[in-house]
Amino acid sequence: MPKFLVLYKWTLDEQDIKVKSDDLSLDASRAKGKISDFDRNAIEEAAAIVEKQGGSVEALSYGTPTVKQSLKDVLSRGVDKAYWIGDASAETADAAVTAKVLAAAIRKIGPYDFILTGEGSSDQFNQQTAPRLAALLGLPCLSFVHKLEVDGAKASVARKLADCTELATVTGPAVISVLSDINKPRIPGLKQVLGAAKKPSEEIALGSLGLAAEDLQPKASRRSVKGFVMTRKNVIYKDAPADAVAKLVSSLAGEGLI
Amino acid sequence: MSDDTFDAIVVGAGPAGSACAYTLAKEGRSVLLLDRGNSAGAKNVSGGRLYTYALELVEPGLYERAPLQRKIVREQIMLMNDRGATTVDYFDPGFGEAVPQSYSVIRAALDEWFAGEAEAQGAMVAPGVVVDGLIEENGRIVGIRTGEDEMRADVVVAADGVNSLLGQKAGLFPDVKASAVGVGVKETIELPDELISARFGVKEGEGAARVAIGCTEGISGGGFLYTNKGSISLGIVFNPEQAGRQTRHIQDIFQDYKMHPAIHALIEGGTSVEYGAHLVPEKGYHGIPKQLSRDGFVVVGDAAQFGINTGLIIRGMDLAIVSGLAAAKAIIAAKQPADVGTLYRQQLEELLLIANQQAYQNFHGIFEISRIFREYPALANDAMQFLFRVDGKKPKPMLKGLLDIVKRNVSFGKLLGDGWKIYRHI
Repeated sequence: MPKFLVLYKWTLDEQDIKVKSDDLSLDASRAKGKISDFDRNAIEEAAAIVEKQGGSVEALSYGTPTVKQSLKDVLSRGVDKAYWIGDASAETADAAVTAKVLAAAIRKIGPYDFILTGEGSSDQFNQQTAPRLAALLGLPCLSFVHKLEVDGAKASVARKLADCTELATVTGPAVISVLSDINKPRIPGLKQVLGAAKKPSEEIALGSLGLAAEDLQPKASRRSVKGFVMTRKNVIYKDAPADAVAKLVSSLAGEGLI
Repeated sequence: MSDDTFDAIVVGAGPAGSACAYTLAKEGRSVLLLDRGNSAGAKNVSGGRLYTYALELVEPGLYERAPLQRKIVREQIMLMNDRGATTVDYFDPGFGEAVPQSYSVIRAALDEWFAGEAEAQGAMVAPGVVVDGLIEENGRIVGIRTGEDEMRADVVVAADGVNSLLGQKAGLFPDVKASAVGVGVKETIELPDELISARFGVKEGEGAARVAIGCTEGISGGGFLYTNKGSISLGIVFNPEQAGRQTRHIQDIFQDYKMHPAIHALIEGGTSVEYGAHLVPEKGYHGIPKQLSRDGFVVVGDAAQFGINTGLIIRGMDLAIVSGLAAAKAIIAAKQPADVGTLYRQQLEELLLIANQQAYQNFHGIFEISRIFREYPALANDAMQFLFRVDGKKPKPMLKGLLDIVKRNVSFGKLLGDGWKIYRHI
């Protein structure tokens, strides 16, 4: 019976983040939290496999103290138990720090046969957490997975690469990062939502993981985040078609586009 | 209580549903509060005003915790024609002494807060759940269905809004009739908070509520405006039957309203950040279904068509909260689910909801006078123009001038008839 751990990130729902028109800064004051999109696929994949063939799914997240708000949602998605590390350091953590924290937590609560996570997070999409974590734990890492079959301790995966599909097998323990087309995450039903309230969750204090201060010091720091706006010229030629086309062509040529 | 049985399941986490769940949970009852939005209030577009007394009835001081916008100190009514507007402005900074009488609210924030309060009292809150139907056994409603799940309760409280599908499924009333509702369209327009205070002549934290008549192209209906923190809620409510017979689109009529010089000056420079449309109960007392309950089932709030529109004041949320409270009190007092319906009626009487509805029961008839929405606002503005005009020419005698203006807009026969009709309905 495979033992899964799914790593997820509690991100802001980008749908409610606004770009201010004056300085392109982001206004996230109305944005609510959500489980990062691809991580939701990872949770679904593990839950669906366990529902079909048995086993267990636990989940783990490292985030700011607001990560606690994610428990109800994650536990209503077929997860048996959720662990969370809520610490202000997550605000500035880079992928290296995140991987170190998660690795330390997994050493404490593990071992697991398969550690699943999304290919990248909805906000940063660094795509680094899975490979870094695998390196720290000394495990194989399979990324870009869009098909997963588990048979005991063995997993067969299809990896979706730029212009081909790679089939691979791995014997756990292993780290696997999944793409969004691997499945369609469930919308939890009422009983699953109510059942979530009765499932266990456990806080892991960052201080209990034996990490040194330098482990929590990000080497890459974010200077700013700004909205991206495509500036358009908004030129409309209203002349007779022949003239308008001629003007359009000369305009495009003038820009060096044709 | 077994795992799947609650004392009450409340469907809809608006003010009615949350007031009901809050009160039940506080009394230690097991209650499940469901909402189809991903969070309570997520599906709501009401931009409006909450009369504080209703929250005070639920629990004194509760309003102090609520995410309220501005305390309303200016009550304004604006009569518009296409060139200008005559506005009556009643300023009363002390309205409601110790507890301010009313606040503008943004329902998305208010509903989420209120559902959270109910949860803190011990109610089980499950957003993102669409209730598909009711479970009926031996003529009793015993629970709800959602997807593949069933959940049972002694009483199901339908707080599912003006177009209450559960009330219809329970057989209490038929589908909503176009004549019984208004369609509201609304935009939220963001502006700097200080600018709003300056434009409306209010202090920080204080605000204005305005109704506008004469902005609906003669369709029965009117405009509204509420000042919030950093935004203005602006919209019109209109009769859908009459609007359907119009050649002009409602969005164009709304656009004209926004661009009217008397409104545009208030919203200029703002950014529209939200828009939406919703139905509102319009018939007042006569719109309330004869039957508000069945064995194991009650309807509250908009679902029960509670609403008051006098032309000057528009009430819905306060009545919703009071009715939710009434249902909770009835459920608490009932020895068996079959008693809830009668006790609910009694509570609606005791909490004076019915008395409030009855006091304005015939007002709806006034809005059948079509001239209220075009000719009379025009008359008021013509009269004002006449009274304030100074151009060096020989002025008409005052009385004759005014009578001419009346005649130009409406015949004396109609004026008398309408006056009599209004007198009768008040």
